[in-house]
Amino acid sequence: MTAVLEIQGLTKTYRARGGPRRALDGFEMYVEAGQVHGFLGPNGSGKTTTLRTLLGLIRPDSGDLRILGRPVPAELPQVIAHVGAIVESPQFFPHFSARDTLSLLADAGNLPQSRVDWALELVGLRDRAKERVKTYSLGMKQRLAVASALLKQPKLLILDEPANGLDPGGIREMRDMMATLSAGGMTVVLSSHILGEVQLICDSVTIISLGRRVAAGPVAEVLQAHSSGQVRVALETAADLSAAAQVLVAAGMQLQAHADHLMLTGVDKPALVARLLAERQLYVSELAPVHADLESVFLELTGTAPVPGQARQVDQSVKPDTAQDGVSA
Amino acid sequence: MSLVRAERRRFFKRRLIKWLVVVGVVILGVIATAVFFDNQKVSAETLASAEAKAEAEYDFAMADFQRQLKACQEVPSGNVKPEYCQWVESGEQPQRDWYRAEYYMPSTFVFKGQFEEMIVVWAAIMAVIAFVIGASFVGAEWSTGSMSSLLTWRPKRMSVLGTKLAVLVGWLTTIAVVTGGLWTAALWATAVYRGSTAGMTPGTWQSLGLTGLRGLGLIVAIGVLGFALATLGRHTGVALGVALAVVVVGQVGLTILLLMLRVPYPEMYLIPTHLQAWMSKVVQVSNPFANPADCMGGQCVEQVKSITWQDTGSITLGAIVVLLVLAFWQMRRRDVS
Repeated sequence: MTAVLEIQGLTKTYRARGGPRRALDGFEMYVEAGQVHGFLGPNGSGKTTTLRTLLGLIRPDSGDLRILGRPVPAELPQVIAHVGAIVESPQFFPHFSARDTLSLLADAGNLPQSRVDWALELVGLRDRAKERVKTYSLGMKQRLAVASALLKQPKLLILDEPANGLDPGGIREMRDMMATLSAGGMTVVLSSHILGEVQLICDSVTIISLGRRVAAGPVAEVLQAHSSGQVRVALETAADLSAAAQVLVAAGMQLQAHADHLMLTGVDKPALVARLLAERQLYVSELAPVHADLESVFLELTGTAPVPGQARQVDQSVKPDTAQDGVSA
Repeated sequence: MSLVRAERRRFFKRRLIKWLVVVGVVILGVIATAVFFDNQKVSAETLASAEAKAEAEYDFAMADFQRQLKACQEVPSGNVKPEYCQWVESGEQPQRDWYRAEYYMPSTFVFKGQFEEMIVVWAAIMAVIAFVIGASFVGAEWSTGSMSSLLTWRPKRMSVLGTKLAVLVGWLTTIAVVTGGLWTAALWATAVYRGSTAGMTPGTWQSLGLTGLRGLGLIVAIGVLGFALATLGRHTGVALGVALAVVVVGQVGLTILLLMLRVPYPEMYLIPTHLQAWMSKVVQVSNPFANPADCMGGQCVEQVKSITWQDTGSITLGAIVVLLVLAFWQMRRRDVS
């Protein structure tokens, strides 16, 4: 598959009062055509800086960026017609209506005005299009922002927190819309903190922490790579748990005993557990591999899992010593 | 061209801009109405009445003079005469020319003589409005995030800012021409119905036209100044703050400083002097700190300098070009975060 988006060795340092702050430190990212790609990272990890750099709003210190195979920002004017984007919170003139807002953008992009109605219909703002944006809720502004990004009918759609402020129905609509757009051949880069959503809709992910990539690849592979191989074992009779534990430890397995189950780690073949116990007339009632979810992988990789009694600061996350550790690296 | 079309539409979709234009027109309308009702057409009766009143005032002054002269002459020698006797006895009696009929006539609007200063009024009001429009047209784009959004559609920053500036200049010129036309029509009507349009030769029209063109230049220049300052500060408020600081604090502070340092021709460095020079073609400033050695035989010759509209125009153009270059350079270089 061809890469729609390629980033290599991207660095950006901001001048700040407390001294220079490196927002991006050799960051890499690849997004293939037709995918919905999740772009994840804790606050202050460099997600928005990356997206702004791609869109020519921020000048990088170094790095190679390509959109649809063309280097940016050098050839951004030639490729921008194929890129729709919303970055951070939606910002519009409060006294303009949604229709005016989109109509002016359509003029600026030399697009037919008929696209305005199409985009408004798509995001569900058709009946409120004549109202001033200042009367809109955050969710409605978010829909308008998505409409503005879709107006170009782009090949690459970059959405930064598109579900922010949306109601549950709106979130599902957004998910369905992204699936539909992706099925139609559009590539979507989705930055979001709603990791359950990302896991549901994304084909692949890139996780960034303190300006470096900590994981990347298809969602299933990232989850598999960071799954602990844990297996939960319960017996028909809870009183047999200690006997079962002795059998398994004797077989070289590591486990943690709980009141009603055992938690085994590093188990390659769960069937072996059942066979070992059955030989001693210990019968399992539950034998379930514990699957990692994206949230736990994210918290583990970025080191941002909350610790009771501690207030984590925004820059307290994991920065890999060697950049670009991940599934695809 | 599509960006030009979008910016042209955006200009008049902005509520503040619409309101500012309306406010400008209303202010000009109120002034024009006041001028209309404050003036009267001079009829033969009005003129005769004024002449009679002037004659009567002259007769009264002469009679008073004669009475005072007589009183002074009757003061016994050795007695102290009243102070007025010095003047009365000098023989400088009231002149008929001191009591002209025009001094006793109601106010009348003479287009030839008074329209030029009314052009200055129009230019001053519209220049203030142009400054706020220029600052807001780009400043509000930055503060609401619309500029950031627009740049994701049109990444050529120089082209975006240049288009905005061109559209601003175009609309300001249009607004200035339309309001200037209405202003001229209103005051012409005032002259027709409440004054006089006598003496309007092609040369007079040409002179007034040139003053109007300088007024137009002032309006557009001030608008561009607001645009450049708001671009540099990325906020309308920055331009307004700088204007307030320069006009109020800066000018007052500079005046005090110049006087304290006894700088020759201090008025030369003040904005109002240059505004006057621009609109009146030339203004003379004097040196209050002239060397006493320049006074010959007790007669001090006042030291004056002339500031022409070309001097002021060159300085203003230079300042605006520098600010615009800085604004475009900053637009090209600075991150949009």
